[in-house]
Amino acid sequence: MSTVCFGCNLETVLSCLEPTQIGFERSGWNMSGRLKLAASFGLCFLASSGIAFAQQQVIGAPPEALNMKLVGTSDLQARSAYQPTIHHQGERWIAYIGHHGGSDEIPAPLNPQTGKTEPNGTSIVDVTDPSQPKYLRHLPGQEGKYEGGGAQMVRICDGKALPKGDRNAVYMLRTFGGEAHEIWNVADPTSPVLITRVAGLKDTHKSWWECDTGIAFLVSGAPDWRTRRMTQVYDLSDPAHPQKIRDFGLPGQEPGSTGAVPTELHGPISTGPSGNRVYFGYGTNKGGILQIVDREKLLNGPKELTPDNLRSPEIARLTMSPFNGAHTTFPMPGMQIAEFARDKDGKTRDIVMIVDEAILNECNEPRQMVWFADVTVEKAPMMISSYTVPEASGTFCERGGRFGAHSSNESMAQVFYKKMAFIAFFNAGVRALDIRDPYHPREVGYFIPSITAATDKRCVKIDGKDRCKVAIQTNNVETDERGYIYIVDRANTGLHILELTGPARAVAGLP
Amino acid sequence: MRRWPVIVVAAAALGALSGAAAYQNIAPRQGEQKDEQQGEQKGSWQEIAWSFPRDGWPAGRAFHCRGASCGGGIEVYVRPKLGFCNCDRGVADDDEVDRVADVDLISQYFVPLAPGEVVQIADMAGRTRAYDLKPSDGSRRVVIGIAVSRRCDLLVAVAHGKGDAWETRRAALALLVTREMTRWMMAAMEGR
Repeated sequence: MSTVCFGCNLETVLSCLEPTQIGFERSGWNMSGRLKLAASFGLCFLASSGIAFAQQQVIGAPPEALNMKLVGTSDLQARSAYQPTIHHQGERWIAYIGHHGGSDEIPAPLNPQTGKTEPNGTSIVDVTDPSQPKYLRHLPGQEGKYEGGGAQMVRICDGKALPKGDRNAVYMLRTFGGEAHEIWNVADPTSPVLITRVAGLKDTHKSWWECDTGIAFLVSGAPDWRTRRMTQVYDLSDPAHPQKIRDFGLPGQEPGSTGAVPTELHGPISTGPSGNRVYFGYGTNKGGILQIVDREKLLNGPKELTPDNLRSPEIARLTMSPFNGAHTTFPMPGMQIAEFARDKDGKTRDIVMIVDEAILNECNEPRQMVWFADVTVEKAPMMISSYTVPEASGTFCERGGRFGAHSSNESMAQVFYKKMAFIAFFNAGVRALDIRDPYHPREVGYFIPSITAATDKRCVKIDGKDRCKVAIQTNNVETDERGYIYIVDRANTGLHILELTGPARAVAGLP
Repeated sequence: MRRWPVIVVAAAALGALSGAAAYQNIAPRQGEQKDEQQGEQKGSWQEIAWSFPRDGWPAGRAFHCRGASCGGGIEVYVRPKLGFCNCDRGVADDDEVDRVADVDLISQYFVPLAPGEVVQIADMAGRTRAYDLKPSDGSRRVVIGIAVSRRCDLLVAVAHGKGDAWETRRAALALLVTREMTRWMMAAMEGR
């Protein structure tokens, strides 16, 4: 059990420790002034370590929370989790959760339902009653560890929404490691049926699928491209017969080009035919680019892979600091800004929230955070504000694992859209932001889950050896139309379903 | 009174330790002496300032070589890029070298001369590739991109000179495999 000592004067430090721990009294030493000074420094050092240790999470400690409350949990079979998507499916609410590959220690965790070890894939959980989630099915993914396996991403479209879909089907688009995209019929979520695969890739990542048109922007690694991740635009309106429309990326990434290779894609978000924009985010923790693309020109423009053709659908780019990447580019067009209500012009603004991804443990990189860009004048997008968790509020750099942003909720359901955003912040849990004035985003709540025996360690190298700590690593967050917030953990702690409380509920207009 | 023997023993131990530490710092080891002699034969490397503006990664170390075997002079820039590698595949192909090896610090416009080759530096595997540069002044220069990895981290180096590609690469690799550079690279890969 650690003792927490604040302040660094000798008396304070000594008072924190039992005489037997110190040992001076027993030996009968009468300390000289210098010895006292040395002891003071030494004990201050130990005390500082004690403070840091006290900030680390311990099993059995309660979660840390403000205006957010735990409703229910699922351990997700202790699999490292990435993207959750919550789907209202008939009378039920189903959570589809993508997983990274396994770890060095446990490459393929045990599935208690089958009694077999299975490479991480997709967890399917019935969250109709969020206080008692029911784990329905684990659908194995690609063999491989960490980012090298699993099935990290998942999107869902109802067959009745897709122009040429089977009206009785519910389609799940998921990645299969870095090797393929797959579409499954999950109308019966306990018995998914594989419909089709787009394979032969060198990588995949966070794709976007328009359910009303079937157009999908698949983040892929086409083998001949010079980058691991680019876009393959597909017509998946009939999921059984995928039709490729074109390949797309930044000039310099296409096959046969030479010179510097621009930052690789992370993921796009489309506003569909009505908005006619696709917002592409390039980069994770470095060299971020927000690219604003004319969707119509992208789909129907010349497709031959020339620099001009790749440049043609682009409206504008916002090049970020090389210190930060663009993991998620979440559009919020037409926001009414209360502060500007009496202005003759510019009362409404088109905003894109950009979320970076922290990738190194224990703050070994520039801070990855959240940015808000005003893209109302598309040719001149401008960063207007930012948000980060104050590190000192939890000495997060010392807790272990990653500290910094990773992703936001991507649901555009009315309950939270343009009012609140939820940010997965690794060891700082999930953070709830009031974004009604995106020029001044404000944190109104947070939740850092407790660790469990399943929570995996995170290590840094010190003098050639691993020094490891155990901390929550909230990786992704999603919301549903009912107002529940779903967070999942990269370090195997599972799914936590939350709801807002107190003043944070009022921000969303919830009763 | 019982304190004196303890203090004397402690002082003697401290003295011995600090003496040993000083010797470690001052006296070059036999291997290092050999490295230095070989270095003289291969060309004289001198550390210079990192001459590029700040970008996404912290600056690394830079060296200039003068000497018979360095042609008209070679510069090498080396630094870690932590968390920038495909953790499982490492530096698997030439596209990865094009993308990460800092060749774009020298010029945005470079054309590969040939397929790259596998390379091993400080127990890290990767690839090296030679490029032809077309700088704005119209002169032609050869650049060597080198990228090796350990888990999710990269160590990259770029060498450029006016000599031929083979000689530039040989000189750069000879620098990178010296004991001093290996020691520094291993520390840098731990963020130290």
